Amino acid sequence: MKETAVIDTANPAPTETPLRVHPPARAARELLFNLVARELKARYKGSALGFLWTLLTPLFMAVIYVVFLRILAGPDVRLEEIVIGVFAWTFTVQSVQSGLTAVTGNANLVKKVRFPRALLPVAATAANLVSFLLTLVVQFVIVGLLAREGRFFSAWSLGLPALIALHTAFNLALAMLLGAANVYFRDTQHLVGVGLSAWFFLSPAMYNLTLLERWTATRPWLLQAYLANPLAPILTGYRALLLGQAFPWGWGAAVGLALPLPLLAAAGAVYRRAQRNFADYL
Amino acid sequence: MADIAISARDLGKCYRVRGHAPPTLFGALTGLGRRRPADRFWALRKVSFDIPRGRTVGVIGPNGSGKSSLLGLVAGTISPTEGAVRAEGRISSLLELGAGFHPDLTGRENVYLNAAILGIAREDVRRRFDHIVEFAGLREFIDQPVKHYSSGMYVRLGFAVAVEMDPDILLVDEVLAVGDIAFQVKCLDRIRDFQRRGKTLLFVTHALQTVEEFCDEAFLVHRGALVERGRPDEVILRYLRSYMGEGGMIFTQEFGTRDVEIRGVRMLDADGRETGIFETGRPMVVEISYTARRPVRDAVFGFSIKTGNGMYVFGSNTQILGLPAARLEGDGRARLSLDPLTLMQGSFILSLAIHSSDHATQYHRREDWYPFAVRNPTGTLGLFHLNSRWEVPDV
Repeated sequence: MKETAVIDTANPAPTETPLRVHPPARAARELLFNLVARELKARYKGSALGFLWTLLTPLFMAVIYVVFLRILAGPDVRLEEIVIGVFAWTFTVQSVQSGLTAVTGNANLVKKVRFPRALLPVAATAANLVSFLLTLVVQFVIVGLLAREGRFFSAWSLGLPALIALHTAFNLALAMLLGAANVYFRDTQHLVGVGLSAWFFLSPAMYNLTLLERWTATRPWLLQAYLANPLAPILTGYRALLLGQAFPWGWGAAVGLALPLPLLAAAGAVYRRAQRNFADYL
Repeated sequence: MADIAISARDLGKCYRVRGHAPPTLFGALTGLGRRRPADRFWALRKVSFDIPRGRTVGVIGPNGSGKSSLLGLVAGTISPTEGAVRAEGRISSLLELGAGFHPDLTGRENVYLNAAILGIAREDVRRRFDHIVEFAGLREFIDQPVKHYSSGMYVRLGFAVAVEMDPDILLVDEVLAVGDIAFQVKCLDRIRDFQRRGKTLLFVTHALQTVEEFCDEAFLVHRGALVERGRPDEVILRYLRSYMGEGGMIFTQEFGTRDVEIRGVRMLDADGRETGIFETGRPMVVEISYTARRPVRDAVFGFSIKTGNGMYVFGSNTQILGLPAARLEGDGRARLSLDPLTLMQGSFILSLAIHSSDHATQYHRREDWYPFAVRNPTGTLGLFHLNSRWEVPDV
């Protein structure tokens, strides 16, 4: 409208080659990659030891549990079992916690930029998956050093990826549900904190199923009900695959292992509905 | 229709307002917190418009009138409750300055992340990276975590990324007021560059001067409705006249003893017609009708003019001009002529005052009371119109 000649010698206009813009699917993938990288970089950059801390924290926890359990329950408590349980539990806890803040923690982004909102919990879970896979290497070493029967690695090459996929699907479902709930309900964080503590004791992270025999020996339905908690068969599954232990098949374990998939479908539907109004509530 | 960049049909956005207590998950799960019917608040309703490609539109209106909701709807960050909005082409919004910057990552990492959010290919960002950094003026800081940046640096980097992404539609929400003067000038240059390249711009701002200067068209939004659209000077004038003092940018005041009261003011153009829009280089006349409730022997008439942005332009009174103090009695009329009007294109606000010559008594003062607009058909440029004459040898 107004003709004003501005010659900006310090900043000549950039070469007029048009920018290439990815089609939506490719752009979403690229953004997911970037978000995961951001999550991981930010997590490991804060401290000098970086990644080492994600390794050391559960490891220390496992050692502490083992020491106390040996005092309380006797010398049969095996470190490698606790290590496997605690690392897998940590994967879920971290997914829940980062899922919880996946949307609210990126309020600025959600309010001001248009992009597929589902990427937020997916990126949070994916970053935790990467951490978990890295800790898995350490678990292999520990298990290799400690496993007495030498039977580990028996069938894991087939079963482990599938179990990790199922575990990840479960974590993603939780991250989506809680991430969306946290936008609308202010007390989600507190309830989740309480829930996680209870859940920790209801899942075989720092103990194995033999501990339950006292109660379940006479009441088999109790074991089945216990196993309907997806984390129970998942954590037990890791031990079964890595240590060659028997897996407690039954309707409880079947329900527990199947549950993550409908849960993920439901979480996806809830999230899709909820995300429409994210920007209004943040 | 191919030339429409943004089109909205019966667009509406309704927010639910839920008293003091926010909903709780505990309540929702246990059914303890019974659902109270939520109050509804329509931030925007029944808004329809088409913006042709290449046009720059300024959205003005009082605070809370729905301007930012409108931008959010166009940007697609908030979903309409009813109606629809369509934007053709890639949108970059300067409402997202620094959005998505992660404090722990370096400037460099954040630039790539930001570009990914906008869907730009990584290699293309790499090619323009130096230019982005140069524009933001952050060469020595680019590998520092952005949490160590000052707020100005943060915004500069955000702006640099946003404009370098070469969008078809640029949405700007009041962000040009940040950064130092040098950077603001750079930003405005870059926005002019956008206009030259035929991009579509949608502005939200309270800086009316900026709307005057940059926009082809202005939208006046009030209480969630698109009240008026048209030439910026006309719309701004309407805005100033209708909504001054309503939480807007202009704080009008009136005070004085009212011994002499300003009853009415008429603003007249060269032909003696009452108007709010004047032309540079032509006369502007202000007629003040007053009533003196008691005889006054020492009255001084004064006026001042500010720009729409509140910058003081000029002030004078009859005393400064060396006129004798006026004796006023009963009804009367005073005339103020500005001939020729040397203001350039823009929105201005006139204040009027009648006070005693010793400045002890303010009879009646209306501060920031009378808005008017100036159009400049002469084609001259600059801050003021200088009455210039050339004598050039005729060979």
